[in-house]
Amino acid sequence: MRPGFLLGEVGNGLRRNFSMFVSVVLVTMVSLFFLGVGLLAQAQVNTAKGEWYDRVQVSIFLCTPDSTDAPGCASGAVTAEQRDQIESDLQGLDPLVTEYFYESNAQAYERFTEQFRNSSALESVPQESIPASFRVNLSDPAKYDVIRAAFEQAPGVDSVEDQREVVDKLFAFLGALSWGALALAVAMVVCAVLLISTTIRLTAWTRRKETAIQRMVGASAFSIHLPFILETVVAALLGAALAVALLWATVRFGISGFLSELLAGESGLVSLVGERDLWLITPFLVGGAVLLAVVTAWTALRRHVRV
Amino acid sequence: MITMDRVSLRYAKADPWALDEVDLDVRRGEFCFVVGESGSGKSSLLRMVILEQRPTRGRVLVAGHDLGELAPRRVHLLRRQIGTVFQDFRLLSGKTVHQNVAYVLQVLGAGRHEIRQRVPETLDLVGLQGKGKRLPHELSGGEQQRVAIARAMVNKPPILLADEPTGNLDPDTSEEIVAILDRINRAGTTVVMATHDTTIVDHFRKRVVQLQDGRVVRDQAEGGYRQVVAT
Repeated sequence: MRPGFLLGEVGNGLRRNFSMFVSVVLVTMVSLFFLGVGLLAQAQVNTAKGEWYDRVQVSIFLCTPDSTDAPGCASGAVTAEQRDQIESDLQGLDPLVTEYFYESNAQAYERFTEQFRNSSALESVPQESIPASFRVNLSDPAKYDVIRAAFEQAPGVDSVEDQREVVDKLFAFLGALSWGALALAVAMVVCAVLLISTTIRLTAWTRRKETAIQRMVGASAFSIHLPFILETVVAALLGAALAVALLWATVRFGISGFLSELLAGESGLVSLVGERDLWLITPFLVGGAVLLAVVTAWTALRRHVRV
Repeated sequence: MITMDRVSLRYAKADPWALDEVDLDVRRGEFCFVVGESGSGKSSLLRMVILEQRPTRGRVLVAGHDLGELAPRRVHLLRRQIGTVFQDFRLLSGKTVHQNVAYVLQVLGAGRHEIRQRVPETLDLVGLQGKGKRLPHELSGGEQQRVAIARAMVNKPPILLADEPTGNLDPDTSEEIVAILDRINRAGTTVVMATHDTTIVDHFRKRVVQLQDGRVVRDQAEGGYRQVVAT
């Protein structure tokens, strides 16, 4: 079969079954989009974990006039002596404590107002209710318990908080998102497989006269199957291209744009997946789509097109 | 060219034999009518020649291929040696006469030059010169069958099988169609035609193989449709 004739056959096939072609394109697009989101979310967890863990600290929040629940706050807001005591205790914990700095009530309030500048609730929060804190970096973040045991009951300490817990919640969320997206992707891939099979069956029916003639005059099974397979591959490639474009837009405008600015403003945690991660998974998405199309089409053809 | 050696066929174990111990030898360049009532096994016999059906027992040889040993992926090579014509023409309704005939060559990978040369030649052979641009529905039944014959012959196969090619045609047109098959046969192609058209068989006086309940009951050179018993 000559390339010109083959392309003509593929073009005719696509025209005759245009609505099915469009549905295969769309289902492939949606399934690959979810697959991409799942893979990017996994990549996000992996790339961010190391960096974020290094940057997170243990925060020792000091008492404010409002904090009365904690045992260390029985005497009200933290006093200068209590603060100095905490600081010298921290120095005593070297080498576990590699670094610490003090964030005063004024600095904390400033950061708070910056973060919530768009919130109407800001005015109702008085400056003294925002606690001062010691931000502590540990040589081994897993030994957070040592810090907690040392300071949780100390006078002037309201609470000890491991930021890793916050970050772990984020990772748990991302992990769930990733698995959710992958599960949806699997469901959509099943849809794609079924739809491709049905499309092949339908196309085989509309072209049964042609294929019967091809068989009769001695066309090989391969050349009878080839136009069907190429049509499916074209649809899958188009679906993959649309999915990659959609993922690119999500990464470019959603993550690198919106989310990155949001996080940079709040916590300085900016290690997010980017376009590079997308380009890394693109060959797998496109290759997977083509492989899926070829295998599904070939299997369906063996069932529905007699050669 | 076509040899059947004690060939039997049944479609299911509980079924009666569709063909029963058939021996047949059609030589190169021969014209052979296969006659018999409906259900006598004519079509089954032709289907085995193009390997649409494998025999339950026995051996079939066609154009040098032992069909029992022919791998499925090589069946298409056998079919290239055989042109096939059916009662219902089986033309592609959206394609012109020229395109219908050219389709075979395109499918088999022929070049443009070859197609430009071979298609008009073949249309001339079946008397359809000047009608290449017509669509099938613009043609009479006889003309449509000529297109089908042109399509079967455009690849110059050494064997032509015709399964009731005159079944949908009036007597005069039927005679014209068989005259074309006769002309093709005289040019060297082996022709096997299944029919129950008495007039045609009696008129052309070719070899007649008669089937009844799947058995060959007569194999006669220059025979008529019914056996004439000498008295």
